Amino acid sequence: MAKIIGGLGTSHVPSIGAALDKGLRDTPDWKPFFDGYEVGKQWMRDAKPDIAVVVFNDHGNTFFLDRVPTFAVGVAETYNPVDEGWGPRAIPAFEGAVDFSWHFVDKLVERHFDPMVCREIEVDHGLQVPMELFFGRPEAWPVKVLPIWVNTIQYPIPTPQRCWDMGKVLREAIESWPGDERVVILGTGGLSHQLQGARAGFINQAADRAWLDGIASNPEPYRAMSREDYVEQFGSEGAELIMWLVMRAAMNSDVNLIHKHYHAPASMTGAGMVVLENAA
Amino acid sequence: MSEAAATIPDTPLFDRAGSIRGYRINKMAMALGQPANRAAFKADEEAYLDSFGLSAHEKSAVMGRDWHEMVRLGGNLFFILKISAVDPTPITRIGAAQASMEHEDFLHLRLGKKRNG
Repeated sequence: MAKIIGGLGTSHVPSIGAALDKGLRDTPDWKPFFDGYEVGKQWMRDAKPDIAVVVFNDHGNTFFLDRVPTFAVGVAETYNPVDEGWGPRAIPAFEGAVDFSWHFVDKLVERHFDPMVCREIEVDHGLQVPMELFFGRPEAWPVKVLPIWVNTIQYPIPTPQRCWDMGKVLREAIESWPGDERVVILGTGGLSHQLQGARAGFINQAADRAWLDGIASNPEPYRAMSREDYVEQFGSEGAELIMWLVMRAAMNSDVNLIHKHYHAPASMTGAGMVVLENAA
Repeated sequence: MSEAAATIPDTPLFDRAGSIRGYRINKMAMALGQPANRAAFKADEEAYLDSFGLSAHEKSAVMGRDWHEMVRLGGNLFFILKISAVDPTPITRIGAAQASMEHEDFLHLRLGKKRNG
């Protein structure tokens, strides 16, 4: 069977990619943010995964409002970075873990999920930025990817419990896969931010810091929280954090928090990451 | 969901009503992901907006870069950000406009950045 070698949670703020494109990594605004990810990149180099499962949301780049899948799964050979309006980015295309992705789709439907299955589709910063944060800017990505899109844009968005349940199926899919691939799971989005309304610019550093510890040691309250609770605590767009639950539910109940990092603000967002490993 | 969420102050969620109300604005903005449409927008903004059937009020909000009003009309930030990419306008200025704050005050009071100088 394939093996889960780690679960990562990370922000995917588009300005992170833009900062790298513009060579701003070592500017005062950005250096503390990027420096904190160096331990995560080193962890990734040592962990040598074969497949990265990336749970993220599209931001009005790949899916328009004419069709809004609550959950979508990629089964493509290749995922090109999409033009988000600023022009194409000079990062390599992502190679799909095609057979494993289909296996995950099989498991999902068997377990009563109904995903949209995507054969030809581009990916936005929701997938690009986490890959850049943990793998840097390679000539070619050293892993194949399984993208999972979660609708966090148009209400109703899925419940935290539903994201958690999907994580359980993801684990089952990995453990029932006959290959011996090493799999890392990236739950992405957040942390607190709000882009719309008079509360725009809302950041809740206390809730963010509690999240980074709690998602490791005691995720139950976050699974049980309502979507309204997420919006209230983390801001309207901070509700993206429900996607970390897919990752967390795929891990053991007991995990070791290997690394964490927090920085605010990255653009308009509380930003950070965790690296989790299953406890023995 | 939308009724309960509406109780969080100053926090509009992009629900059914918003999605229906803002469909034309968002569709117009989404199309700016294509370079040819960005060129058309830059060449003759009003003609571009007309081609998506925007009302006079919607056109005036877009052409005036009234971000607060665009959101009120159902524009979703993730779509209308493509307008800011054409300009370009930093997202923090869009945030400040919605919060009805000066940009420097917004950076300091909302995002916690140190004041310049």
